[in-house]
Amino acid sequence: MSDAHAHSHGDHGHGEALPGTIGHVTSAKTLVMVFLTLVLLTVITVAAAQVDVGRLNVVGALAIAVVKGSIVCLWFMHLRYDKRFNFFIMLGSVLTLLWMVGYILFDTKLYQHDMENYRKNKTVDGKVKPE
Amino acid sequence: MSTSTAHSHDTHALPPRPKELAMHFDTLHNQYQAGKLGMWLFLGQEVLFFAALFTAYAVYRGNHTEMFHVGQYFLDWRLGATNTIVLLFSSMTAAWSVRCAQLEQRRGLVLTIAITWLCALTFMVVKYFEYTHKIHVGSVWGDSFHIHNMADLPRGVVDWLYKHNPGLAQMQGEEQLAAVNDMLGKNGLGLGSFFAVYFCMTGLHGIHVLVGMGVYAWLFVRALKGHFNRRYYGAVDNVALYWHIVDLIWIFLFPLLYLIG
Repeated sequence: MSDAHAHSHGDHGHGEALPGTIGHVTSAKTLVMVFLTLVLLTVITVAAAQVDVGRLNVVGALAIAVVKGSIVCLWFMHLRYDKRFNFFIMLGSVLTLLWMVGYILFDTKLYQHDMENYRKNKTVDGKVKPE
Repeated sequence: MSTSTAHSHDTHALPPRPKELAMHFDTLHNQYQAGKLGMWLFLGQEVLFFAALFTAYAVYRGNHTEMFHVGQYFLDWRLGATNTIVLLFSSMTAAWSVRCAQLEQRRGLVLTIAITWLCALTFMVVKYFEYTHKIHVGSVWGDSFHIHNMADLPRGVVDWLYKHNPGLAQMQGEEQLAAVNDMLGKNGLGLGSFFAVYFCMTGLHGIHVLVGMGVYAWLFVRALKGHFNRRYYGAVDNVALYWHIVDLIWIFLFPLLYLIG
Protein backbone atom coordinates (compact mmCIF):
# COMPACT_ATOMS: atom_id res chain seq x y z
CA MET A 1 0.00 0.00 0.00
CA SER A 2 1.17 3.52 -0.68
CA ASP A 3 0.79 4.44 3.00
CA ALA A 4 4.05 2.67 3.57
CA HIS A 5 6.02 5.63 2.21
CA ALA A 6 4.61 7.85 4.94
CA HIS A 7 6.82 6.00 7.39
CA SER A 8 9.98 5.99 5.34
CA HIS A 9 11.28 9.32 6.70
CA GLY A 10 13.33 7.72 9.43
CA ASP A 11 12.13 10.54 11.66
CA HIS A 12 11.60 10.23 15.39
CA GLY A 13 8.11 9.21 16.37
CA HIS A 14 7.38 6.79 13.57
CA GLY A 15 8.56 3.94 15.70
CA GLU A 16 5.49 4.11 17.93
CA ALA A 17 3.01 4.13 15.03
CA LEU A 18 0.66 1.15 14.81
CA PRO A 19 0.97 -0.92 11.64
CA GLY A 20 -0.96 0.57 8.71
CA THR A 21 -1.28 4.04 10.27
CA ILE A 22 -1.97 6.78 7.73
CA GLY A 23 0.19 9.89 8.03
CA HIS A 24 3.12 10.91 10.18
CA VAL A 25 2.91 10.51 13.97
CA THR A 26 4.57 13.44 15.76
CA SER A 27 6.27 12.44 19.01
CA ALA A 28 5.05 13.86 22.34
CA LYS A 29 8.49 15.33 22.93
CA THR A 30 8.40 17.25 19.64
CA LEU A 31 4.94 18.67 20.43
CA VAL A 32 6.07 19.91 23.86
CA MET A 33 9.31 21.34 22.48
CA VAL A 34 7.46 23.18 19.72
CA PHE A 35 5.01 24.65 22.25
CA LEU A 36 7.83 25.78 24.57
CA THR A 37 9.71 27.35 21.66
CA LEU A 38 6.58 29.28 20.66
CA VAL A 39 6.11 30.50 24.26
CA LEU A 40 9.74 31.59 24.42
CA LEU A 41 9.36 33.53 21.15
CA THR A 42 6.21 35.18 22.54
CA VAL A 43 8.15 36.29 25.62
CA ILE A 44 10.89 37.68 23.38
CA THR A 45 8.27 39.55 21.30
CA VAL A 46 6.76 41.18 24.40
CA ALA A 47 10.18 42.02 25.88
CA ALA A 48 11.45 43.50 22.61
CA ALA A 49 8.37 45.74 22.35
CA GLN A 50 9.30 47.44 25.66
CA VAL A 51 12.44 48.92 24.05
CA ASP A 52 11.76 51.72 21.59
CA VAL A 53 13.96 51.33 18.53
CA GLY A 54 11.68 53.08 16.06
CA ARG A 55 10.87 51.23 12.86
CA LEU A 56 12.94 48.25 13.99
CA ASN A 57 10.17 47.42 16.49
CA VAL A 58 7.79 46.59 13.67
CA VAL A 59 10.42 44.70 11.68
CA GLY A 60 11.52 42.70 14.73
CA ALA A 61 7.99 41.82 15.86
CA LEU A 62 7.03 40.71 12.35
CA ALA A 63 10.24 38.71 11.93
CA ILE A 64 9.56 36.80 15.15
CA ALA A 65 5.92 36.28 14.09
CA VAL A 66 7.10 34.83 10.76
CA VAL A 67 9.41 32.41 12.61
CA LYS A 68 6.56 31.41 14.95
CA GLY A 69 4.16 30.98 12.04
CA SER A 70 6.67 28.83 10.15
CA ILE A 71 7.15 26.61 13.20
CA VAL A 72 3.37 26.17 13.50
CA CYS A 73 3.11 25.30 9.78
CA LEU A 74 6.06 22.90 9.67
CA TRP A 75 5.48 20.94 12.88
CA PHE A 76 1.95 21.44 14.23
CA MET A 77 0.46 21.43 10.72
CA HIS A 78 2.74 18.60 9.60
CA LEU A 79 3.92 20.41 6.47
CA ARG A 80 7.40 18.99 7.02
CA TYR A 81 6.07 15.49 6.49
CA ASP A 82 3.11 16.24 4.26
CA LYS A 83 2.71 16.11 0.50
CA ARG A 84 4.70 18.97 -1.08
CA PHE A 85 1.59 20.15 -2.90
CA ASN A 86 -0.06 21.24 0.37
CA PHE A 87 3.09 23.15 1.26
CA PHE A 88 2.94 25.02 -2.05
CA ILE A 89 -0.73 25.95 -1.55
CA MET A 90 0.25 27.65 1.71
CA LEU A 91 3.39 29.22 0.26
CA GLY A 92 1.40 30.52 -2.72
CA SER A 93 -1.15 32.17 -0.45
CA VAL A 94 1.51 33.78 1.73
CA LEU A 95 3.43 35.11 -1.29
CA THR A 96 0.20 36.52 -2.73
CA LEU A 97 -0.45 38.22 0.61
CA LEU A 98 3.03 39.77 0.61
CA TRP A 99 2.66 40.86 -3.00
CA MET A 100 -0.70 42.50 -2.31
CA VAL A 101 0.44 44.30 0.86
CA GLY A 102 3.66 45.37 -0.81
CA TYR A 103 2.07 46.65 -3.97
CA ILE A 104 -0.69 48.57 -2.21
CA LEU A 105 1.74 50.13 0.27
CA PHE A 106 3.89 51.19 -2.66
CA ASP A 107 0.85 52.96 -4.10
CA THR A 108 -0.15 54.45 -0.74
CA LYS A 109 3.28 56.03 -0.39
CA LEU A 110 2.62 58.09 -3.51
CA TYR A 111 -0.20 59.93 -1.76
CA GLN A 112 1.50 60.28 1.61
CA HIS A 113 2.68 63.80 0.79
CA ASP A 114 -0.87 64.98 -0.02
CA MET A 115 -2.15 63.45 3.17
CA GLU A 116 0.49 65.15 5.30
CA ASN A 117 -0.33 68.41 3.59
CA TYR A 118 -4.03 68.00 4.33
CA ARG A 119 -3.38 67.13 7.95
CA LYS A 120 -1.19 70.19 8.50
CA ASN A 121 -3.61 72.67 6.93
CA LYS A 122 -6.76 71.24 8.47
CA THR A 123 -8.55 73.30 11.08
CA VAL A 124 -10.16 71.80 14.17
CA ASP A 125 -13.63 71.61 12.64
CA GLY A 126 -12.32 69.49 9.79
CA LYS A 127 -12.41 72.13 7.04
CA VAL A 128 -9.39 72.82 4.86
CA LYS A 129 -7.91 76.29 5.22
CA PRO A 130 -7.82 78.30 2.00
CA GLU A 131 -4.26 78.61 0.64
CA MET B 1 -2.57 0.84 -4.47
CA SER B 2 -2.07 -2.02 -6.88
CA THR B 3 1.35 -0.84 -8.07
CA SER B 4 2.91 -1.05 -4.63
CA THR B 5 5.26 -3.86 -3.79
CA ALA B 6 5.21 -3.28 -0.05
CA HIS B 7 2.64 -6.00 0.56
CA SER B 8 3.40 -9.26 -1.11
CA HIS B 9 0.01 -10.75 -0.24
CA ASP B 10 -1.86 -8.29 -2.50
CA THR B 11 -4.21 -10.10 -4.80
CA HIS B 12 -6.51 -8.91 -7.52
CA ALA B 13 -9.56 -9.77 -5.44
CA LEU B 14 -11.24 -6.66 -4.01
CA PRO B 15 -10.70 -6.39 -0.28
CA PRO B 16 -13.78 -5.82 1.88
CA ARG B 17 -14.57 -2.08 2.05
CA PRO B 18 -14.17 -0.49 5.49
CA LYS B 19 -17.41 1.11 6.72
CA GLU B 20 -15.68 4.54 6.98
CA LEU B 21 -14.71 4.51 3.29
CA ALA B 22 -16.97 6.71 1.14
CA MET B 23 -18.10 5.13 -2.14
CA HIS B 24 -16.15 7.52 -4.34
CA PHE B 25 -12.73 6.63 -2.92
CA ASP B 26 -10.54 3.60 -3.59
CA THR B 27 -8.78 3.45 -0.24
CA LEU B 28 -8.84 5.12 3.15
CA HIS B 29 -5.51 6.63 2.24
CA ASN B 30 -7.03 8.24 -0.87
CA GLN B 31 -9.90 9.53 1.21
CA TYR B 32 -7.55 10.99 3.82
CA GLN B 33 -5.33 12.76 1.27
CA ALA B 34 -8.28 14.13 -0.71
CA GLY B 35 -9.90 15.51 2.45
CA LYS B 36 -6.61 17.05 3.49
CA LEU B 37 -6.08 18.65 0.07
CA GLY B 38 -9.54 20.20 0.35
CA MET B 39 -8.70 21.53 3.80
CA TRP B 40 -5.41 23.02 2.59
CA LEU B 41 -7.17 24.76 -0.28
CA PHE B 42 -9.59 26.22 2.26
CA LEU B 43 -6.70 27.32 4.50
CA GLY B 44 -4.96 28.94 1.53
CA GLN B 45 -8.18 30.85 0.96
CA GLU B 46 -8.28 31.81 4.66
CA VAL B 47 -4.80 33.37 4.35
CA LEU B 48 -5.98 35.38 1.33
CA PHE B 49 -9.17 36.36 3.15
CA PHE B 50 -7.19 37.76 6.08
CA ALA B 51 -4.68 39.24 3.61
CA ALA B 52 -7.28 41.89 2.72
CA LEU B 53 -7.55 42.89 6.38
CA PHE B 54 -3.79 42.91 6.87
CA THR B 55 -3.49 45.14 3.81
CA ALA B 56 -6.09 47.53 5.23
CA TYR B 57 -4.13 47.54 8.49
CA ALA B 58 -0.87 48.31 6.68
CA VAL B 59 -2.40 51.19 4.70
CA TYR B 60 -4.06 52.76 7.78
CA ARG B 61 -0.91 52.36 9.79
CA GLY B 62 1.25 53.82 7.03
CA ASN B 63 -0.96 56.89 6.79
CA HIS B 64 -1.78 57.35 10.48
CA THR B 65 1.22 56.38 12.59
CA GLU B 66 0.22 58.68 15.46
CA MET B 67 -3.28 57.18 15.56
CA PHE B 68 -1.82 53.67 15.95
CA HIS B 69 0.68 54.90 18.53
CA VAL B 70 -2.07 56.31 20.78
CA GLY B 71 -4.63 53.60 19.95
CA GLN B 72 -2.29 50.89 21.15
CA TYR B 73 -2.38 52.37 24.70
CA PHE B 74 -6.06 51.43 24.86
CA LEU B 75 -5.21 47.73 24.43
CA ASP B 76 -3.97 45.72 27.39
CA TRP B 77 -0.97 43.70 26.17
CA ARG B 78 -1.24 41.44 29.24
CA LEU B 79 -4.66 40.21 28.09
CA GLY B 80 -3.35 39.84 24.54
CA ALA B 81 -0.31 37.89 25.74
CA THR B 82 -2.50 35.65 27.93
CA ASN B 83 -4.67 34.84 24.93
CA THR B 84 -1.56 34.16 22.84
CA ILE B 85 -0.32 31.57 25.34
CA VAL B 86 -3.82 30.06 25.60
CA LEU B 87 -4.02 29.66 21.81
CA LEU B 88 -0.48 28.27 21.54
CA PHE B 89 -1.30 25.72 24.23
CA SER B 90 -4.54 24.78 22.44
CA SER B 91 -2.57 24.38 19.22
CA MET B 92 -0.38 21.85 20.99
CA THR B 93 -3.39 19.94 22.35
CA ALA B 94 -4.98 20.04 18.88
CA ALA B 95 -1.82 18.53 17.37
CA TRP B 96 -1.83 16.06 20.23
CA SER B 97 -5.40 15.00 19.43
CA VAL B 98 -4.19 13.98 15.94
CA ARG B 99 -1.44 11.94 17.56
CA CYS B 100 -3.97 10.27 19.89
CA ALA B 101 -6.22 9.41 16.94
CA GLN B 102 -3.28 7.91 15.04
CA LEU B 103 -2.22 5.86 18.07
CA GLU B 104 -5.87 4.95 18.79
CA GLN B 105 -5.67 6.37 22.30
CA ARG B 106 -9.41 6.88 22.75
CA ARG B 107 -9.31 8.57 26.17
CA GLY B 108 -6.41 10.76 25.16
CA LEU B 109 -8.32 11.83 22.06
CA VAL B 110 -11.43 12.82 24.03
CA LEU B 111 -9.27 14.61 26.60
CA THR B 112 -7.16 16.61 24.12
CA ILE B 113 -10.28 17.65 22.19
CA ALA B 114 -11.93 18.77 25.44
CA ILE B 115 -8.85 20.78 26.49
CA THR B 116 -8.65 22.45 23.08
CA TRP B 117 -12.33 23.42 23.33
CA LEU B 118 -11.83 24.80 26.85
CA CYS B 119 -8.86 26.89 25.67
CA ALA B 120 -11.05 28.31 22.90
CA LEU B 121 -13.66 29.17 25.52
CA THR B 122 -11.00 30.84 27.71
CA PHE B 123 -9.89 32.90 24.72
CA MET B 124 -13.45 34.07 24.09
CA VAL B 125 -14.02 34.92 27.77
CA VAL B 126 -10.90 37.13 27.78
CA LYS B 127 -12.07 38.67 24.49
CA TYR B 128 -15.51 39.30 26.02
CA PHE B 129 -13.96 41.29 28.88
CA GLU B 130 -11.82 43.26 26.44
CA TYR B 131 -14.76 44.09 24.17
CA THR B 132 -17.19 45.04 26.94
CA HIS B 133 -14.57 47.26 28.55
CA LYS B 134 -13.96 49.09 25.25
CA ILE B 135 -17.68 49.58 24.69
CA HIS B 136 -18.04 50.81 28.28
CA VAL B 137 -15.22 53.33 27.81
CA GLY B 138 -16.54 54.42 24.42
CA SER B 139 -13.38 53.49 22.52
CA VAL B 140 -15.23 51.97 19.58
CA TRP B 141 -15.37 52.05 15.77
CA GLY B 142 -15.84 55.01 13.45
CA ASP B 143 -18.07 57.93 14.39
CA SER B 144 -19.26 56.09 17.49
CA PHE B 145 -15.91 56.75 19.17
CA HIS B 146 -16.68 58.96 22.16
CA ILE B 147 -14.93 58.87 25.54
CA HIS B 148 -17.44 59.19 28.42
CA ASN B 149 -15.08 59.70 31.30
CA MET B 150 -11.52 61.03 31.63
CA ALA B 151 -10.83 58.47 34.38
CA ASP B 152 -11.27 55.63 31.86
CA LEU B 153 -8.34 56.77 29.76
CA PRO B 154 -5.14 54.73 29.98
CA ARG B 155 -2.04 56.46 31.33
CA GLY B 156 -0.27 56.62 27.96
CA VAL B 157 -3.24 58.39 26.36
CA VAL B 158 -3.47 60.96 29.18
CA ASP B 159 0.24 61.70 28.85
CA TRP B 160 -0.14 62.16 25.11
CA LEU B 161 -3.13 64.51 25.60
CA TYR B 162 -1.33 66.77 28.10
CA LYS B 163 1.82 66.80 25.98
CA HIS B 164 -0.12 68.03 22.95
CA ASN B 165 -2.50 70.34 24.79
CA PRO B 166 -1.13 71.66 28.12
CA GLY B 167 -4.27 73.83 28.39
CA LEU B 168 -6.28 70.70 29.28
CA ALA B 169 -5.09 71.00 32.87
CA GLN B 170 -6.99 74.27 33.28
CA MET B 171 -10.24 72.77 32.00
CA GLN B 172 -12.78 70.76 33.94
CA GLY B 173 -15.70 68.39 33.49
CA GLU B 174 -17.66 68.61 30.25
CA GLU B 175 -15.37 71.22 28.73
CA GLN B 176 -12.31 69.05 29.28
CA LEU B 177 -14.09 65.95 27.97
CA ALA B 178 -15.19 67.80 24.83
CA ALA B 179 -11.62 68.95 24.20
CA VAL B 180 -10.34 65.39 24.72
CA ASN B 181 -12.88 63.93 22.28
CA ASP B 182 -11.94 66.64 19.81
CA MET B 183 -8.30 65.58 20.00
CA LEU B 184 -8.92 61.83 19.89
CA GLY B 185 -12.04 61.61 17.71
CA LYS B 186 -12.71 62.31 14.08
CA ASN B 187 -11.59 65.97 14.30
CA GLY B 188 -8.22 64.94 15.66
CA LEU B 189 -6.43 61.60 15.66
CA GLY B 190 -9.41 59.68 14.32
CA LEU B 191 -9.13 56.82 16.81
CA GLY B 192 -12.49 55.56 15.52
CA SER B 193 -10.56 54.25 12.52
CA PHE B 194 -8.06 52.47 14.75
CA PHE B 195 -10.89 50.76 16.61
CA ALA B 196 -12.65 49.89 13.35
CA VAL B 197 -9.48 48.06 12.32
CA TYR B 198 -9.17 46.52 15.80
CA PHE B 199 -12.76 45.27 15.98
CA CYS B 200 -12.80 44.06 12.35
CA MET B 201 -9.60 42.06 12.66
CA THR B 202 -10.11 40.62 16.13
CA GLY B 203 -13.84 40.19 15.49
CA LEU B 204 -13.33 38.10 12.37
CA HIS B 205 -10.68 36.14 14.21
CA GLY B 206 -13.11 35.69 17.13
CA ILE B 207 -15.77 34.34 14.75
CA HIS B 208 -13.19 31.78 13.62
CA VAL B 209 -12.63 30.79 17.24
CA LEU B 210 -16.40 30.34 17.71
CA VAL B 211 -16.57 28.17 14.58
CA GLY B 212 -13.62 26.19 15.96
CA MET B 213 -15.56 25.61 19.21
CA GLY B 214 -18.49 24.35 17.15
CA VAL B 215 -16.46 21.82 15.17
CA TYR B 216 -14.54 20.72 18.26
CA ALA B 217 -17.85 20.06 20.04
CA TRP B 218 -18.83 17.88 17.04
CA LEU B 219 -15.46 16.06 17.17
CA PHE B 220 -15.86 15.54 20.91
CA VAL B 221 -19.13 13.66 20.38
CA ARG B 222 -17.65 11.58 17.55
CA ALA B 223 -14.55 10.79 19.61
CA LEU B 224 -16.75 9.68 22.52
CA LYS B 225 -18.59 7.36 20.12
CA GLY B 226 -15.23 5.91 19.06
CA HIS B 227 -15.57 6.87 15.40
CA PHE B 228 -11.85 7.36 14.76
CA ASN B 229 -8.96 4.96 14.22
CA ARG B 230 -5.43 5.02 12.80
CA ARG B 231 -6.69 4.78 9.23
CA TYR B 232 -9.71 7.03 9.64
CA TYR B 233 -9.10 10.30 11.48
CA GLY B 234 -9.27 12.90 8.70
CA ALA B 235 -11.84 14.98 10.59
CA VAL B 236 -9.55 15.24 13.64
CA ASP B 237 -6.60 16.18 11.44
CA ASN B 238 -8.45 18.73 9.31
CA VAL B 239 -10.12 20.46 12.27
CA ALA B 240 -6.70 20.65 13.93
CA LEU B 241 -5.28 22.22 10.75
CA TYR B 242 -8.07 24.81 10.83
CA TRP B 243 -7.36 25.45 14.49
CA HIS B 244 -3.64 25.99 13.78
CA ILE B 245 -4.54 28.63 11.16
CA VAL B 246 -6.66 30.43 13.77
CA ASP B 247 -3.62 30.35 16.07
CA LEU B 248 -1.35 31.46 13.23
CA ILE B 249 -3.46 34.55 12.51
CA TRP B 250 -3.44 35.50 16.17
CA ILE B 251 0.38 35.15 16.21
CA PHE B 252 0.37 38.12 13.80
CA LEU B 253 -2.58 40.06 15.24
CA PHE B 254 -1.16 40.17 18.75
CA PRO B 255 2.06 42.12 18.06
CA LEU B 256 0.50 44.21 15.28
CA LEU B 257 -2.35 45.50 17.46
CA TYR B 258 -1.16 45.23 21.06
CA LEU B 259 2.58 45.73 20.98
CA ILE B 260 4.03 47.90 18.24
CA GLY B 261 2.45 51.34 18.59
